Amino acid sequence: MRLRSIEELRALRRELTESPAPERRLWVCGGPGCLASGAQEVFAAVEAACRDRGLQGGARFRAELSGCLGLCERGPLVEVEPEGWLYGGVKPEDAAELVGETLVGGRFLDRLAADPKCREKDLIPFYLPQKRLVMARFGRTRPGNLTDYLAAGGYGALELALSELGREEAFRRVELSGLRGRGGGGFPAGRKWRALKEAAGRPRYLIANGDEGDPGAFMNRALMEGDPLSVIEGMTVGAYAMEAEEGFVYVRHEYPLSVERLNSCVRAAEEAGLLGDDILGTGMSFRLRIVEGGGAFVCGESTALTASIEGREGQPRVKYVRTTEAGLWEKPTLLQNVESWANVPMIVRNGPDWFRETGSGDNPGTKVFSLVGKVRRTGLVELPLGSSVGSLVNDAGGGVPRGRKFKAVQSGGPSGGCLPESALELPLDFDALAGAGAMMGSGGLIVMDDLSCLVDTARYFTAFLSEESCGKCAPCREGLPVILEVLTDMTEGRARPGDTDFLERQARMLAATALCGLGKSAANPVLSTLRYFRDEYLEHEGGFCRAGRCRGMYQPAVDPASCRSCGRCQKACPAEAIEGSGKEPRRVVPEKCVTCGACLAACAFEALKAHRHPEGGPDARTA
Amino acid sequence: MPGRPDTALPGPGSPAAAPAVLPPRPPRPGIPMVEGTIDGIRVSVPRGTTLLEAARLCGIEIPTLCHHEGLPAEGSCRLCVAEIRGQLAVSCMFPLRDRDFRAETGSPAVMDARRYVLSLLVNRAPKAPRIARLAEEYGVAPDPRFMKDPDGCIRCGRCVRACRANGPEAIALAGRGFARTVTGPFRKPPEDCIGCLACALSCPTGKIAFSEKAGTRKIWEREFELAPCPECGARVFTREQIGFYGGQASAVCPSCRRRLMATELRKAAAYEAPGGPLLLKSV
Repeated sequence: MRLRSIEELRALRRELTESPAPERRLWVCGGPGCLASGAQEVFAAVEAACRDRGLQGGARFRAELSGCLGLCERGPLVEVEPEGWLYGGVKPEDAAELVGETLVGGRFLDRLAADPKCREKDLIPFYLPQKRLVMARFGRTRPGNLTDYLAAGGYGALELALSELGREEAFRRVELSGLRGRGGGGFPAGRKWRALKEAAGRPRYLIANGDEGDPGAFMNRALMEGDPLSVIEGMTVGAYAMEAEEGFVYVRHEYPLSVERLNSCVRAAEEAGLLGDDILGTGMSFRLRIVEGGGAFVCGESTALTASIEGREGQPRVKYVRTTEAGLWEKPTLLQNVESWANVPMIVRNGPDWFRETGSGDNPGTKVFSLVGKVRRTGLVELPLGSSVGSLVNDAGGGVPRGRKFKAVQSGGPSGGCLPESALELPLDFDALAGAGAMMGSGGLIVMDDLSCLVDTARYFTAFLSEESCGKCAPCREGLPVILEVLTDMTEGRARPGDTDFLERQARMLAATALCGLGKSAANPVLSTLRYFRDEYLEHEGGFCRAGRCRGMYQPAVDPASCRSCGRCQKACPAEAIEGSGKEPRRVVPEKCVTCGACLAACAFEALKAHRHPEGGPDARTA
Repeated sequence: MPGRPDTALPGPGSPAAAPAVLPPRPPRPGIPMVEGTIDGIRVSVPRGTTLLEAARLCGIEIPTLCHHEGLPAEGSCRLCVAEIRGQLAVSCMFPLRDRDFRAETGSPAVMDARRYVLSLLVNRAPKAPRIARLAEEYGVAPDPRFMKDPDGCIRCGRCVRACRANGPEAIALAGRGFARTVTGPFRKPPEDCIGCLACALSCPTGKIAFSEKAGTRKIWEREFELAPCPECGARVFTREQIGFYGGQASAVCPSCRRRLMATELRKAAAYEAPGGPLLLKSV
């Protein structure tokens, strides 16, 4: 069915919103986390249970797969509409009861509660500080379903822009909204938009960057899988406001479901007359293509990304001319992260003042974070910008699990930075994080506890970046391996005196001379940890790892006063290096200890700690 | 920079100023001139001229490795950095577009950056004369701790760009990061190589080896037969080269081509001279 005018779109929407909603729905979370923990099987079982009860295609009771519900820690999740209950850890065996008791019967199943203390999703501490705007339709619409999207008010922005606002006002709304790029840099979207609008040369291209490659980050994936149409609508509105002819969504090759959903949405939107030629009978044309990424981390960098779309090797190029002047095929091009595009429809529909009500000052709106690491509740969290890091880690995330201490939070992906405990006070905004030596990045946050060694963490990220360096410019190609070599030496007890200072100089020079943004920020893991955890570097120089992470660089010992003789350390020890029985405090036998760190992680009473090697460190042994 | 004359350049509006340094190209219609200083020396160039070009015009030497006048710039070796607008920029690609620009090619930040780049590259090509000379000049030495693969190649890609510019596109940089290397497709001897030596002759470290004897040339593990020049019999070009560039006409060796060209020119001149075509016989 093709919509030939704005009036036809309005009529269809009226029809959709007036048709009766089902009495109750089960939303089985189809987000990346839950799919990984078996949501597909749960959904299949729920569908089968519905068939058994003759409920399929029913108007009253339905079961659907939803976009990411957020609380991955407790997955697979099921949300109940309209009650707003949230179930967690659901198994296929629970399907019959779920359908019989909850879907049809309307009764809450205590044993499946996602949170032991409350039934309603919105009251669970994980969701309390959140404001879900980008993820608003997750768990409200079937992912990538155009009918659901329209019924939920989707394409309202395009409708409004085409019918009432006009190009200038649609553009003005985005410019005044103060939206900043969600891909990491936080560059004001309005400045980019103006540059493209005023650029000479045709055609003009729009690109959505969905090449999410940071380890542990999956917010862009959840967005492209959960609400791909919001990205497509955002780009269509952008195309109208800036008179762009063609667009590309560059999606990470490893996200096949994102590619599939985006492609089917493009087809559906084209068939409905919402994309392609003569959109809604207004004469406006915008063609959109989904491009699969080249499989390299560096392809997320804007110039490498455009090279990759052009069919060349994904490598950054020296950029003294802006992409908005000469980007894709040397034509004016505007590139934004998929999350930035997903913000556009709501800004155009509700106006800049509405958008600025959320967030703080120069950082309006929300940001989706993927919270992982040593916190009680991991998952996708959408917070107003300007919320404190602490509210994310402690309120939404529930803090580090019992018995361990918070040590650092790594923000911004591999090329972001590690911030210490004092950073919990920092507001989550582009400027504060950058000022502290980390960055917003695309929103990945990894929480680390006192068993994490920051030198080892820097080594891990440097290894990742060194592996992913494209190798074009000398500093990144040759300089990262130098940094990695020193970090490896440090974590393996081969550090040389002065290595800490040497590292700092190397990292600074790398940042100053590398070709692309990725190379320049590749020094961040080292620079940020040096800034806040320099002591640990110096200790490693002397052969000691206080976190008990680097093998052979510490000696675990039990503090008899704190030991409760629970024996967990003994069970955990693979080398039978812990002596003691009954109610006596345990003792570590240094000769048998292999410094694997298992006992340190097992102790719940902080009785086991890493101590300096008595013989003066591993130098003696490796010499 | 001490010892360098602070000469003024006659800008478009000041024809009376003392002539010191000329613009690299005459002002072009439609392209405005921009004026500024490099190390304190005033220079005026057409907008878009690279900083490197402008600096050389002022007689300022900026070291380069991946840059080659005849090839598209890539800015990958990062040796030619200079300071402009308080930031480091690769001078071989930085276009001078602002009026009243101010660039420094010898500031402490610039020297630090060059030392850093050279300290990395010298571990890759410690024996290459050009690298060794630069390293010595900038006071850096190879460090065995970080010398993991001193294969003599600094991955500047000049060979690849030269090959592309000449047409065959037989070799490319393959792989990522530290493991990036110049090679033929599938890491085999390049099938499309015509043995023209453009890669070897453009290599700044002399890494690409070739040999010639008894009418054959060896490069990239391939052997090429050198065809005799139809005029003098000298063996200069490979048969593949002659084929690639258009057959027998291009088989004439450079010195014969010069001689033939000179003859043609003399003929043309005689034709134009008083007496005209009648004199042609005497040429």
